[in-house]
Amino acid sequence: MAMLSFERKYRVRGGTLIGGDLFDFWVGPFYVGFFGITTVFFAFLGTAMILWGASQGPTWNLWQINIAPPDLKYGLHFAPLREGGLWQLVTICALGAFGSWALREIEICRKLGMGLHVPFAYLMAVFAYFTLVVIRPVLMGAWGHGFPYGILSHLDWVSNTGYQYLHFHYNPAHMIAVTLFFTTTLALCMHGGLVLSSTNPQKGQPVKTPEHEDTFFRDFIGYSVGTLGIHRLGLFLALAAVFWSAVCIVISGPFWTRGWPEWWGWWLNLPIWR
Amino acid sequence: MEYQNLFTQVQVVGPIHEGIPLDRYERRNRIGKPFLFHLMGRIGNAQIGPIYLGWLGIASLFFGTIAIQIMGWNMLASVNWSPIQFVKQLFWLSLDPPHPKYGLKLFMPLAEGGWWMMAGFFLTVAILLWWLRTYRRAVALGMGTHVAWGFLAAIWLFLVLGFLRPLLMGSWSEGVPFGIFSHLDWTAAFSLRYGNLFYNPFHMLSIAFLYGSVLLFAMHAGTILAVSRFGGEREIEQIVDRGTASERAALFWRWTMGFNATMESIHRWAWWFAVLTPLVGGIGILLTGTVVDNWYLWAVKHHVAPTYPNVFGGITVDPATTFVAPPPPVPQIPMQGMKP
Amino acid sequence: MKTMYAKFSLLFILSSLLLLAGCERPPIEAVQHGYRGTAMDEIYNPRTLAAQAPNNVVPASYPVPADGPKAATAYKNVKVLGNLSTAQFTTFMVSMTSWVSPQQGCAYCHNVENFADDSKYTKVVARRMIQMNQRINSNWQTHVKQTGVTCYTCHRGNNIPQQVWFTAPEQKQGNGWLGNKDGQNTPSQSVGLSSLPYDPFTPFLLKDGMIRVEGDTALRTDNKRNIKETEKTFGLMIHMSKSLGVNCSYCHNTRAIASWEESPPQRATAWYGIRMARDINNNFMVPLTSVFPAHRLGPTGDVAKANCATCHQGAYKPLYGVSMLANFPYLRGTDTTTAASTSSVANTAVK
Repeated sequence: MAMLSFERKYRVRGGTLIGGDLFDFWVGPFYVGFFGITTVFFAFLGTAMILWGASQGPTWNLWQINIAPPDLKYGLHFAPLREGGLWQLVTICALGAFGSWALREIEICRKLGMGLHVPFAYLMAVFAYFTLVVIRPVLMGAWGHGFPYGILSHLDWVSNTGYQYLHFHYNPAHMIAVTLFFTTTLALCMHGGLVLSSTNPQKGQPVKTPEHEDTFFRDFIGYSVGTLGIHRLGLFLALAAVFWSAVCIVISGPFWTRGWPEWWGWWLNLPIWR
Repeated sequence: MEYQNLFTQVQVVGPIHEGIPLDRYERRNRIGKPFLFHLMGRIGNAQIGPIYLGWLGIASLFFGTIAIQIMGWNMLASVNWSPIQFVKQLFWLSLDPPHPKYGLKLFMPLAEGGWWMMAGFFLTVAILLWWLRTYRRAVALGMGTHVAWGFLAAIWLFLVLGFLRPLLMGSWSEGVPFGIFSHLDWTAAFSLRYGNLFYNPFHMLSIAFLYGSVLLFAMHAGTILAVSRFGGEREIEQIVDRGTASERAALFWRWTMGFNATMESIHRWAWWFAVLTPLVGGIGILLTGTVVDNWYLWAVKHHVAPTYPNVFGGITVDPATTFVAPPPPVPQIPMQGMKP
Repeated sequence: MKTMYAKFSLLFILSSLLLLAGCERPPIEAVQHGYRGTAMDEIYNPRTLAAQAPNNVVPASYPVPADGPKAATAYKNVKVLGNLSTAQFTTFMVSMTSWVSPQQGCAYCHNVENFADDSKYTKVVARRMIQMNQRINSNWQTHVKQTGVTCYTCHRGNNIPQQVWFTAPEQKQGNGWLGNKDGQNTPSQSVGLSSLPYDPFTPFLLKDGMIRVEGDTALRTDNKRNIKETEKTFGLMIHMSKSLGVNCSYCHNTRAIASWEESPPQRATAWYGIRMARDINNNFMVPLTSVFPAHRLGPTGDVAKANCATCHQGAYKPLYGVSMLANFPYLRGTDTTTAASTSSVANTAVK
């Protein structure tokens, strides 16, 4: 079997949320669980529907395949299958698969006696997706506001959605989210680099210690957040980036209909300098 | 609810750590009396300081300060020295690159790009000196130089945007202005001019690495916090002597997605994703305008652009191809007794 | 730690509310414009529309017989509209008064002791504006279609239309050797509070500056347009969007913003609108500069000029596309035929 040298002792029963021992087994390296079954079910169904949708479309070119949401005129109802209903079904499958994945991760954490930080973080990303295809369309009154499923077509949606607000860069929540994205990447590079620089030191030198890591950053910028702190910081930065991304899109439309540069008018009109 | 190890509940206060000893000469450059900041200690280390300030650091700060000063004083001057207007208009203010007519000339009137050139030059020197600092501090401690090389990827993008691409385009005017909203206008205009940057494959890759970096940090940080009860955050120790923290962390991912990293290799994944973001991004910027003039048309040529049904009742014809200018208007009627 | 979480949650909720306080609220109205999933939609706030609606109510008018003695013979010094019947002429005078000078009445343009007298500049200007009105309705049907315009379209009961533009005076900045804003980097309503160049009107609605910036080849050939020029075009586009109360996807599929094949027909209409604005400003407004008194001119002594907002005033079509010309057919001008097709959509070329 595809087990790591130390793996056997960890493969114990328990930790499941649903199903007890019925699905508590592995297939190769993959843990199954009840939610492994549901994940495969939703993923398979969703993928099959995407393939069927592609067959109804003009191309099999991977970059050009497009499963589009319904026209706005269908509001929050189910649309005919070929008029966007397929998109709705794929979305339901996606949410089913993502939710199943999260619950499966929770089962795995429980089995390994770990904290639930990873499934929590994963659910933040699912929340962002949920915001894009459920929360915002509901607030705007039509499923058609969701983004199409297609590699290039979803980028066309991003472009036009952005230009609905004339100059999306001026969206303050977008600014915060972008800053957090770049900061996360910076922090990741620094953390990865730091650990590697300790364990892959100068030629002939022994592996370094956390005191070396702290000293490097204190010498460098006067502060070192430490081995535990960097992971708290990294998780916070990454989740905050995703959170503010969800915020920036949910306010565009439901809570703001004009160009985003115009939002800054409140600052210019403050009584102190109006 | 179970304790999640997000904030330290019982803060251990230990002696101040002066840092791994350096040789006598370099030790003089560690300055500042370190102190403990309790609130910081709830998240990470409580100790602030000391900081190392050698020749490289001081020179870098010097040049950097000049660059910021040039930007700041120009912005203040642009609102006629009014501090109130400066604060009010701050986000709109900017120091702009030279006019296209100056091409690649090194000198032009100060108010027509000269200050931008100087600010850019001083900023670049400051950043390169700062880079040298990251290299030197690592070597001085006998550590690898991975942080420095990672930093270089970001510097690559910075140099592409402000120096290399303008050089290849034959005009400093292509550089990015120094200003909050103005650099965002530059970004939007760049995409508008070159046929929608979303269709630039290097831009796509860079975004994949950017989102991937955020994804990876969430995954890695979440994993470490989840096994912190087993000492998972002691990554160096776990790398050289694998403990149950690393084992559980690896197995979580193996069971979830079928494969896993090790305590060391995850940091390689991390470093590469973060480094590739600006690295390929810079390539994408460098190719724009120099090789490719319109990324959408490039994508059409390479069969990547999707087509949509026309829902407008027909294809819109470019009016410039059919326009016939109207005849001159009827002349203005002069007033009684007044010239027209 | 319970209180810590409670404190953080409270802080978070309060700051979110603060952030949203500067915003609008649902429900909103969305109008789909392009193919589904392309997000080419117009997003409207019904409360904003409701506030705008009173400004777009077409004033009442009624048909007037065209027969009877002509105005040119009945009145003195009638230079335009002489072929109207006296009934039409006097009705038009009353209408024009309510459209342009409801407060001041006839005296705004006329010397009430001698109506034929041209001593007031407003009468000279009005005469020229009637000619301008006729020209728009006859030669610019590519833009105004059969709907056309009247004085009310711009003036809406005001002496001066609420949206006109003047050339901004040269800003004194720094000492001349630093602090050069170069016509941008200032929060200006003309470009929707962005920091783009804040005078998109002089180069594009007065002069015939080149608006297009993208090339039509994938690889680099001879397109020399640069980023600063793109920002100027972007500024003009923001003005157009604000003036019509629409967003960029009204005229463009922004994924290929320069491509005419991807663009809705509104883009062609807008193209003609830009040329029409240049015609209005160069052939009608600028020649009137010496007629206007100083207090009607701008800070640099230039005449008030038209841009998209002058007619549209925040609506996708002025007065929501309701035509006033049924009862004012003479404002269609003497030449009501057009050489080219009024529709820019090649109906035979559906792919």
